Amino acid sequence: MADNRPIVQRGTRLGRRAFLGGSAALGAAALAAGCTPDGVDGSAGPGRRLPFLGPHQPGVDTPAAHFGLLAAFNLVREDRTSLARSLRDLTDEARALMEGHLPERRDTAYPPAETGILGPDGRTDGLAVTLSVGASLFDGRFGLADRRPRELVRMPYLANDRLDPAQTHGDLLLALSADQPDTLLHALRQLMRRTRDNLVLHWMLDGYNRPDARPRAGQTGNRNLLGFKDGTANLDIDDKRLMDELIWVGPGDGEPAWAVGGSYQAVRIIRMFVEFWDRTPLNEQQKIIGRDKASGAPLGQDRETDDPGYGDDPAGRRVPLDAHIRMANPRTPETAGSRILRRGFNFSRGFDAAGRLDQGLAFVSYQKSLTRGFLAVQARLKGEPLEEYILPVGGGFFFALPGVRSTDAWLGQQLLD
Amino acid sequence: MGEVGRVRRVAVLVGLAAALLLAGCGKDDGAGVRSEGGASGSGAGSGSGTGSGSGLANQDLSGTTDDQQVLKAVADYKAWVVGEADGLVADTAKFTDAVRAGDLAEARKQFAPSRVRWERIEPIAGLVEDIDGAVDARVDDFEGVNDPKFTGWHRIEYILWEKDTTAGAKPFADRLDKDIASLDQQLKTLEFPPAAVALGPAELIEEVSEGKITGEEDRYSHTDLSDFDANVDGSKKLLELLTPALQAKDAALTAEITAGFAAVDKSLAPYANPDGTFDAYTALKAADKTRMQAELAGLSEKLARIPGVLGLKG
Repeated sequence: MADNRPIVQRGTRLGRRAFLGGSAALGAAALAAGCTPDGVDGSAGPGRRLPFLGPHQPGVDTPAAHFGLLAAFNLVREDRTSLARSLRDLTDEARALMEGHLPERRDTAYPPAETGILGPDGRTDGLAVTLSVGASLFDGRFGLADRRPRELVRMPYLANDRLDPAQTHGDLLLALSADQPDTLLHALRQLMRRTRDNLVLHWMLDGYNRPDARPRAGQTGNRNLLGFKDGTANLDIDDKRLMDELIWVGPGDGEPAWAVGGSYQAVRIIRMFVEFWDRTPLNEQQKIIGRDKASGAPLGQDRETDDPGYGDDPAGRRVPLDAHIRMANPRTPETAGSRILRRGFNFSRGFDAAGRLDQGLAFVSYQKSLTRGFLAVQARLKGEPLEEYILPVGGGFFFALPGVRSTDAWLGQQLLD
Repeated sequence: MGEVGRVRRVAVLVGLAAALLLAGCGKDDGAGVRSEGGASGSGAGSGSGTGSGSGLANQDLSGTTDDQQVLKAVADYKAWVVGEADGLVADTAKFTDAVRAGDLAEARKQFAPSRVRWERIEPIAGLVEDIDGAVDARVDDFEGVNDPKFTGWHRIEYILWEKDTTAGAKPFADRLDKDIASLDQQLKTLEFPPAAVALGPAELIEEVSEGKITGEEDRYSHTDLSDFDANVDGSKKLLELLTPALQAKDAALTAEITAGFAAVDKSLAPYANPDGTFDAYTALKAADKTRMQAELAGLSEKLARIPGVLGLKG
C-alpha cells in the first residue's frame, strides 16, 4: 500500500466510522492483484455501490432496487443550528453507509460503532439514501418560510383518501433502497443513532419490488399486490434529457435557487383490499387496470411493450376509457408533461382488526412539479373503478433535496445557508 | 481514544494491505481488517437486565480499572447508596405505616415519595438477589393481579388506586418493609464493581425511557414523573462523582452530557410542584413527551460511551 496514513476518523468526534485514508490505495492494490473490487462495475453483489456525491441525490434516477424503506421523522429541536447539525450528521452517515466506509474500531468497553448485522466487510448492497423535507419544515420554527419550494404544501385529502395522521406527513423523510432488506435496517439504525436527540420517528414502512434481471425501459418484471405488472410505462432513467425535463428542478423553473437539482416527491401509502380483489372476475380486473394480467400487454395487444393504441380506440372498446392505465397516462401530447418517475414498493404488514391482510403499495413519485406531475395524474384518476379496491391511508408531499457535490458539503446546506 | 487507538489503527491498515495482496482479491478485505489488530479479550457483554425491568446484570460488571479517580468515584458512590438505602427504609415505613393504619389518603400520598430513593439507586439495588422482583415488579411479569407472587409497591398501588382501599394490603406492606430492610443490609456488604458505576448513569436513563416516559411504571397512581425525576437524579449523582475522571479523558463528552441533563431537567420542570411532588403522568403533553423521549435517547447514546472513555478493562 502506497499510503500508510492512519485511518482518518470521519466527521465529528461522535463519528461512528473511520474512513480508510488509503481507500484509493485499496482499489489499486486489488487491481494490482488482478481483481476488480465488487461493485465498481455496477454489478449486483454485497459490494455494489451507488455514487453518493453528485448534482442529484441517489435513489431517484437510479435503477429500482429490490427493497425499499420509508421513514418519516419530526424534529424536536426548534432551532436552525440543531437542524443544520442533524443534516450534517445524516449526510456524514449516509455517505459512509453508501460508500462502505469501515467502522471505527473501538475498545470493547465501548458499544460497537455499528449494528454488525451486515457482518464486518463493509457491505453496501447498492444502498441509496434519499433525504427529503416536508412542508412543515417551512413553518415558523426555523425561519425558512420564505424558502419553501413553491408547490410544497401539506398533502391535502385527495379523492378516496382516508389519511391516518399516524402515517402521514413529517418534517423529514428518509427513503432507503438496497439489494437486501437487512441493509436497509442497518442503514436506518445507523442514521437514527446519529440523530436520536433531534429526529423522532413519525411513521415508517418497508417493502420490496421484484427487480428486473435486465432492466429495460417499457418493460418490467415487477408486479404489484393486485397481481398486475407495475412500472411498465415508467420513465426511462437513462434518458437524462427526459429527467431534466420532467424530474429535476432546474434554474429556470421559478423555484428557490437552493432547490435546483432537487425534485418534488409524492408519497402515498395505498392499502389494497386484496381479498376483495381476489374475488373479482379476471375480465373485470383486466378492464379496471387496462392490461392483460398475465402478459402485461395493453388489452387488445400482444406484448407488454406494445402501445395501447388509444388513437384508434376513442370509444374505449379495447382499453376502457376509465381503465387505470388510460386515465393515468392517456399518452397524448397534452399529457406528456404529466409523466412522473415512480419509485415505490409493495408492502405487507400483517392484518387489520377485521382479519383482512394489510397489503398495498407504497407509491413514491418524483417530478419537477407536483401540479403538472402527480396532482395532474391524480386528478385524472379521480373516480376510477379501481378506487373501490384501494384506500390511500398515509404518505405526504416532500421535496427531495439537491445532491451533495463535494465531501465537505451536506444535504440541505444551500437551504440553510 | 488516545495514542493507543491510533497505533492500533495503523496496524490495522498495514494488516489490510497484507491481507489484500495475499488473498489476491478485494472480496476478503473486510475479513483481513477484522482479524488483524482486533481488540483482545471477550466482549463487554452488556445486556439488558433480569427480572422485572432493565438494570445492571451480573455480566455487565466484569470491568476493572486502576484509575484512582474512578476508584474514588466507586467508593464515594457506595457511601452515597448506603445512605440512600438507610433513608429508603424510613421513607418506606411512612408509606407502609399508613397502609397498615388503613389511612387510604395518607398511603396514596406517601406512595411516590417512598419510591424516590429506590428509583435513585435502582440499577445497583437490582444487583441484590431477588429484591427487585419482590419490591418493584409490575403486573406484566405475572399472570394477573391476583398472582400471589405479585408483591411490592405496585401490588399495593393496585389495591390503593384500583380497588380504592387499604383492605388486603397489609401483608404486602409488611413484606415490602422486610425486603427493603434486607436490601439495606445487603448493600452494605455488596462489592461495587467499577462497571456498575460506569454503566449506572446509562441504566438509569434507560429506566426512564423504557418505563417512566411511557406511563407503564405507575399505571394506577400515575406518579411516573416522580420516578422519572428520581432516576434522573440518580444518574446525575453518578455523573457528578465520575466527572473528575471523565473530564480528564473527554471534556467535550462531559460537557455534552451535562447539557443533556440540563435539557431533560428543563423539560420536566413545568411538571414539578413546590412541595416536591409531580403532576400526574396523565397531564404530560404529547409534544413534551416526544421532546423528552428524544432528549433521553440522545443522552443515552452519550452515556453509553462512559465505560469506553474511562477505559474499563474487560
